[in-house]
Amino acid sequence: MVKLFVNMMKEEWRVHSTMFGSLSFALFPVMILGIAFMGSFLLPLFRAVVPPGYLAIIIHTIFLLLGIMVGGFGLLGMEVMNRRFGQASLLSYSARSLPISEREIFCTFVVKDTVYYLILWVVPFVAGFAIASPFISVPLSLPLLLLLTLTLAFLTGLALIFFLSTVYSRSKQAFAVLFVIMLMGWAGLYLYTGISTAALFLPLQLFYAFSYATFLAACAVVIIPSAIAVVLFTSEYTDTTKRFKNAIAPLTKKLSFFPYPPLAAKDLIDLFRSGSFIGQTLFSFFIPLGLLWFLLSVLARFIPPGDVLLLFAILTGVIASTMYTWLTMFDTFSSYTCLPVSVPVLLKSKMCSFAVLQVIPATFIVLVSIASGGVAYLVPAFVLCLSVSFYALSVTVWLTGLSPSVLVYDAKVLLLYLVSVGIALLALIALAFVNPYYAIGSVLLFLPAWLLVKASFTKWDMQDQPVF
Amino acid sequence: MSLMEMKQGVIEAQGLVKQFGDVIAVNNISLSIRQGELFGLLGPNGSGKTTMIKLLTGQLRPTAGSATVLGLDVKKDPVGVRERVGIIPEQETPPSFLTATEYLDFVGEVRHIPDVLKKADWWFDYLDFNDKRDVLCKDLSRGTRQKLMFTQAFIHKPTLALIDEPLINFDPIMQRKVKDYLTEYVRCGNTIFISTHILEIAEEICSGFAILHKGTLLHTGTVAELKERDQHLDDFFLSLVEKGTHG
Repeated sequence: MVKLFVNMMKEEWRVHSTMFGSLSFALFPVMILGIAFMGSFLLPLFRAVVPPGYLAIIIHTIFLLLGIMVGGFGLLGMEVMNRRFGQASLLSYSARSLPISEREIFCTFVVKDTVYYLILWVVPFVAGFAIASPFISVPLSLPLLLLLTLTLAFLTGLALIFFLSTVYSRSKQAFAVLFVIMLMGWAGLYLYTGISTAALFLPLQLFYAFSYATFLAACAVVIIPSAIAVVLFTSEYTDTTKRFKNAIAPLTKKLSFFPYPPLAAKDLIDLFRSGSFIGQTLFSFFIPLGLLWFLLSVLARFIPPGDVLLLFAILTGVIASTMYTWLTMFDTFSSYTCLPVSVPVLLKSKMCSFAVLQVIPATFIVLVSIASGGVAYLVPAFVLCLSVSFYALSVTVWLTGLSPSVLVYDAKVLLLYLVSVGIALLALIALAFVNPYYAIGSVLLFLPAWLLVKASFTKWDMQDQPVF
Repeated sequence: MSLMEMKQGVIEAQGLVKQFGDVIAVNNISLSIRQGELFGLLGPNGSGKTTMIKLLTGQLRPTAGSATVLGLDVKKDPVGVRERVGIIPEQETPPSFLTATEYLDFVGEVRHIPDVLKKADWWFDYLDFNDKRDVLCKDLSRGTRQKLMFTQAFIHKPTLALIDEPLINFDPIMQRKVKDYLTEYVRCGNTIFISTHILEIAEEICSGFAILHKGTLLHTGTVAELKERDQHLDDFFLSLVEKGTHG
């Protein structure tokens, strides 16, 4: 088990460092540390606007989401690895050739994911805060407590998603029932008892007031779902071979208004058959946005509700831009190398499919505007959401081409993305806060977006496509 | 095939170089392949065969040198090259979530092949994978994926096909069938460029061959010349590669 763990850690490192170079990847935690260090100096400013308790909610929720995302990759990882590495074999699948049970491999995989991503994200973040703490008059015990509570927040997300994924692999119906029960339980508790979600989020409660009882309860929330996941775990190799009728021809006809109908048809088929349309919409769109809405609704006590809606529209736009990765996740350029298809054609086609997927955030923001009583701000919220989404998409395409889900882990790429998108977002937030209707000016973002996309075609056509 | 193409060769490479960081995968290679040849690029693992095919089909951009395929510059018009040739890459890569039929239909749409499904029917029969036509590519065995990739490379009847390790996943029955097909295809005036490290295949079906080692071209010649000298390809190959390694 220890040997397997060590080798899985090595393997995970090599997978990442092979993709974008050892140095670039080694710099990733350093960059997180740097951001946390510099961000800590802004704490006094934040405290003036937002009470410290709410800042803690934001940070803990981010790490909960991180755990969900890392676990979510585990959920889809098998197929992603197959597409990315072709015939390369990973230790996760070594039960076929080595005398190790699949359950043991799964347990080690969970432990490896936990340790690896703690080192990659949690530890550098807390270290940055700890180094800055003497300069901002924060006692050193606070970063230590933060290390514990952020670790628990991250593990809660990871455990939750592993639990849900194993239930899903056992029975899709059971998963649906469980999900509805959880949703109804959460809503019922809030509506009938007034207990907020934050009160149920034990790592956060631990941060507010440390007690051994809360600590043990928070550990139980991690350990129990993980243990059930291990018990419920079932081999993925028992999948039965499915047969499908030809959907390419009818879909190509239906999508004849697209510039490249067969490519769009293939994207659509990939999305549905890989399960990523429902899975990603749920895990990468609605759940993160639900949590964000909860966080922002807390801010409504300090800023006007209209501004909250616009802030939410901006964040929805950023999350909506990641839909581009849904379209590229199961598709590598190597599938097209034997066909007369150029990289710019593929990029154009993916962006057209992306444009169609924007119906989801567009509808979502309209519904949220109505439900939150912000109909007056519907138009600026709608324009903001889509402008930000397309602008962030153009930055993504420029920086990562057809490999966004891989190259985003390159520290240089991530930093450039954060700067390019961050500056635009800050300007838009300021604009929206001055006058919500000024936010309609965000439509101007389409101009740099268009120029970036045009430059991306030349950039990615002129270089060899990265092979992972 | 134009008169000019026939004169200048179906594939012409001049001083091709491909460098990945410090590694020179292909080092100053010049080649000329005539129409109607079944040409084998031979070499040990890692000798640069796959890189060479990728360069000739515009999948990689050369660091230096130039190449034309069917008269088209691979650097300037890689899509034009891929439009006119058939390619089977080293690793079979049909898209995971399309069925075999859908993939061929997709290829037909992209290549604008009329009645592609009728043509696909013939291939399903010929390569004996009719029962797999509605199965997702991710669920196909390697051998069946290779059959599918073979089909997509020839379904538009290109005058030139470039194949990386053509028989690697096939059983002996299918190997025979494919060898027969390739030989007949060349007899009809088409050209085939294969890369392989299985020398028996090359000796059996190739007319011309080149030996590549550590990215450098050690020899070009014909199988007939070897036969005249009463020499076997594997002996010749081993002696050359050994010299290349120690020299």
